[in-house]
Amino acid sequence: MHEVVQALILGILVGGIYALMASGLTLVFGIMKVINVAQGALVILAAYLSYALWSHLGVDPFLSIVIVTPVMFVLGVAVQLVFVRSLRGPEASELSLLVTWALALGIEGILSVAFKTTFRLSLPSYADTTWTVLGYQIAEVRLLGFVASGVLLALLSLLLTRTRFGRAVRATVQNPTAATLLGVDANRVQTLSFGLGVSMAAAAGAVYGVIYPFNPGSHYDLISRLLSIVVLGGLGSIGGAVFAAVGMGVVESLVAVEISPIWSSFSFFVVLIAFLIVRPQGIFGLRERVL
Amino acid sequence: MSRTPVRLAVVAACAALAAVAATTSSAAPQAGPIKIGISLSLSGDFSDPGKFAEQGYKLWEKTVNAKGGILGRQVQLIIQDDASSPTQAATNYQNFITKDHVDLVFGPFSTLLTAPSAAVASRYGYAFIEPAGGGPAVFDQKLHNVFFTQPAPIVESGDVFVKWILSLPKSKRPKTAAYPALDDPFSSPIADRMRAQFEKAGIKTVYKTIYPSETVDMTPIVSKIAAAKPDMIVGGTQAGDGYSLIKGLVQAKYSPKFLFEANGPNSPGEFPGKVGANNTEGIFSSSDWYPAAQTYGNPAFIKAFLKLYGGKAGDIDPGSAEAYAVGQVAQRVISKVGLNNAKIIAALHTGRWPTVEGTLHWDSIGQPTGQFLLVEWIGGQLYPVLPKKVAVKSPVYPKPAWGQ
Amino acid sequence: MTRATGFGLARGAAFAGAAVAFPFVFTPAWIVNIGVLTLMYAALATAWNLFSGYTGYITLGQAAFFGLGAYTLGITFEHVGIGSGYNPFYALPLVGAGVALASLPVAWIALRTRQMTFAIVTLTLLFIVQQLAFNLHSLTKGSTGLMLPTPRFPIDSYDRPFYLAMLAILLVALGLCWLIMRSKLGLTLLAIREDEEKARGLGIRVTSAKLVAWSLMVWLSAMVGGVWAYYLTFIYPESSVDPLVMIGAVLMTFLGGRGTLWGPAVGALVLVPAQQYMITRLGASEFYLVGYSAVFMVVLLLLPRGILPSLRDALDSWRERRRTHGSKPVVHGEVRA
Repeated sequence: MHEVVQALILGILVGGIYALMASGLTLVFGIMKVINVAQGALVILAAYLSYALWSHLGVDPFLSIVIVTPVMFVLGVAVQLVFVRSLRGPEASELSLLVTWALALGIEGILSVAFKTTFRLSLPSYADTTWTVLGYQIAEVRLLGFVASGVLLALLSLLLTRTRFGRAVRATVQNPTAATLLGVDANRVQTLSFGLGVSMAAAAGAVYGVIYPFNPGSHYDLISRLLSIVVLGGLGSIGGAVFAAVGMGVVESLVAVEISPIWSSFSFFVVLIAFLIVRPQGIFGLRERVL
Repeated sequence: MSRTPVRLAVVAACAALAAVAATTSSAAPQAGPIKIGISLSLSGDFSDPGKFAEQGYKLWEKTVNAKGGILGRQVQLIIQDDASSPTQAATNYQNFITKDHVDLVFGPFSTLLTAPSAAVASRYGYAFIEPAGGGPAVFDQKLHNVFFTQPAPIVESGDVFVKWILSLPKSKRPKTAAYPALDDPFSSPIADRMRAQFEKAGIKTVYKTIYPSETVDMTPIVSKIAAAKPDMIVGGTQAGDGYSLIKGLVQAKYSPKFLFEANGPNSPGEFPGKVGANNTEGIFSSSDWYPAAQTYGNPAFIKAFLKLYGGKAGDIDPGSAEAYAVGQVAQRVISKVGLNNAKIIAALHTGRWPTVEGTLHWDSIGQPTGQFLLVEWIGGQLYPVLPKKVAVKSPVYPKPAWGQ
Repeated sequence: MTRATGFGLARGAAFAGAAVAFPFVFTPAWIVNIGVLTLMYAALATAWNLFSGYTGYITLGQAAFFGLGAYTLGITFEHVGIGSGYNPFYALPLVGAGVALASLPVAWIALRTRQMTFAIVTLTLLFIVQQLAFNLHSLTKGSTGLMLPTPRFPIDSYDRPFYLAMLAILLVALGLCWLIMRSKLGLTLLAIREDEEKARGLGIRVTSAKLVAWSLMVWLSAMVGGVWAYYLTFIYPESSVDPLVMIGAVLMTFLGGRGTLWGPAVGALVLVPAQQYMITRLGASEFYLVGYSAVFMVVLLLLPRGILPSLRDALDSWRERRRTHGSKPVVHGEVRA
């Protein structure tokens, strides 16, 4: 029983970080029907930036969020302007899938050249610290990562509900035509939202890089999980993504402990497929709008 | 639809292929350089270790040419990237043999690429001296042209450790053991073999598991190991998960009496940094090569390597030594029997061949019949502790608690 | 809709004839090897196009079927003899059919979802199949890899049987595409691409059309995977279910022209020899992935319709201009698939 609860704790901690990454992905889809397959690669890019700041300048990885996030926001805006916006027409969504995949490959390639394929991991002084709470082990870096993710998701929620920009975003998700008629600049909202989605990835990347060893090829595992999470949660629903992310973390962790580690990611995919039989639009997904 | 573009495209492609075929170099005249084709992973998943192999090969090329080459002819290595893809590796060797008509080929990096490449070489009767294909997949093909330039097949990496443990008096031996292993062509076979040998000797297995190669979280595994409280942990690991496993054990505050990892602790440059410099004491691993080893040509190899590439001897990756050993074997056998692949294959199946990896001798399917080194961290440094012939220090046990 | 013309058939026959003759004329093994790889990608791209090009549903799971075909052939011939070496080739259609049948339940689930979700679910399929290849160790030998028996083909023409096998699959794929485009199924697929809801509303049997196209794509992809496995004689999970192979096929389809008959094959004919040329002449390239990505971006953003349709349009405008001596505005003819 002890190890089941331990696995549960670990699953929730892990899920929080994936929730942060997935929120950006599903937000972007909700706004412009674009699946950013490069989200995983952007997380890894941020992890490398954070690692570089730590290894050369001694910047604490969690503090580096403050630096890395704005930088990647600008990068995200640039990417949207250069690559994504130019896609037009009825097949823009499908093409964006391939364009962002090409982008992910490009990022992987550049990172391979710059950093080689050695695995990296930021190791601040508290990297090995664990706390024992009620008999259960909690690693400090994981807890900090979870807290950071929670804070950032709360900030995102505030942004979307309490600001004018947030209202514009939500209006665009619900009904882009009506939103435009009401004066929302759709192009600007799309560009800024894409940047926002990438910022989420950036923050998550800084956290990721202090918990998990990574190299340029790590983005495949990330994006496979992220895509499954957003589909399970319902494309476009941030709440769904958070829910699904934590669920995924728990499922994988429990399977690793109770059955075997080699089946943990597989079991999540199976859960996804099984769920889609019953509810093809995901947990909180909306049925396709007709407009 | 309009037919012209299709026809044009087809004709153009055929013309292009024909043009490339026409510019093929025909077989080199006898007095020219000895051409050796090598497919290496210079990009993709294996690019890090691939680079080390490239360094070793190129160093050998320079060294041998500086001394006048072989049989009076200069050596020319033709190195091609295979992007860590077996399809490309096989294509590269096919190009080397049937397009470039090289005299010889050397092996690529990784068992996974060596297996299909060796098959291509075997088809055309070329010898396949190779530095990194030591997993079961290569030897299961039962090819007679393969020669693996490490002391023993990789699956036997842990045999020296097993022998040593079983040589200890019964009261000092571990009674229980846990076997976490990485799911790859070498690591879990190594752990499985060691486990079979230990179980036969009466050491109880309290936990075993295999984890996939993209496992980022060792915590569930570590917590299960800690709960089982084994005297000994035998990790079938590569470097990355080897480090994670130890870090996990440190965080879980569990320190076994004996800890062996197939890989991880055998990287003297990286290991202390990755797990914490005061966590290394008493950890065992295995190695095929050691900078201070007094094997054939090793001091000269180190000196030349540092001169060409800089750095410290302790940071030289064994992959470079393995590749260099391939060159050493080739040089010796060519000098003996000339540039005939059939004769080379026959010659290499008998006798002993000295290299920086030790003196090598192969069985009929290319498996070397020697032993790996058992290495241990003592006082913050990595030393070979067995076999006695090459040991610098004696094994220290049991392992102290973390942080000492 | 492509009109069935005598021209079309003659063109197809000429291509088939030239392709069959090729390895007998250019015999060096390395040339035939490039031919094998080109035909492999051409067949994969044509199969992908058969489903994704015509229905508009982007599938990202093709690598899974390629891998399933490879492993099915490998596992089968662990227990069955290869005879003169040609048995695996004869077994291919059955192997492919087995994989296609196994894929139907998954297809049925996936095809209930919308386009974007569908793409993601098929991508998930890729990871699932790769995991199974790793985990079902007693069947697939897991990460250690599976060995196939080596045929005793004569050394001078060793690669030729593999070349001809790949060519056969490509010709079948092209033939299927051609037949479909002239049939009601083809109309249905195009209707799905244009407006699936409307088609469904009109009572068209949308789901069964998609399933037929899907099954054919899987059947062809699995057979290509089987030939590849036999060619290399050694397969393992990462190499058999490789996203990059699939992305290459998709890229070639886009380059040549999605939704056209010859587009994917032309794309392969251009990119595969070009890639091999670059690797051999330019040596080691750390920029391999970057270059790949750049080519992909250029094709997608600047030439989204591909070489063939763009060339055809340019040719049409030129002909139109010549005919009207520039005095009338250019009007394109009927929409062609």
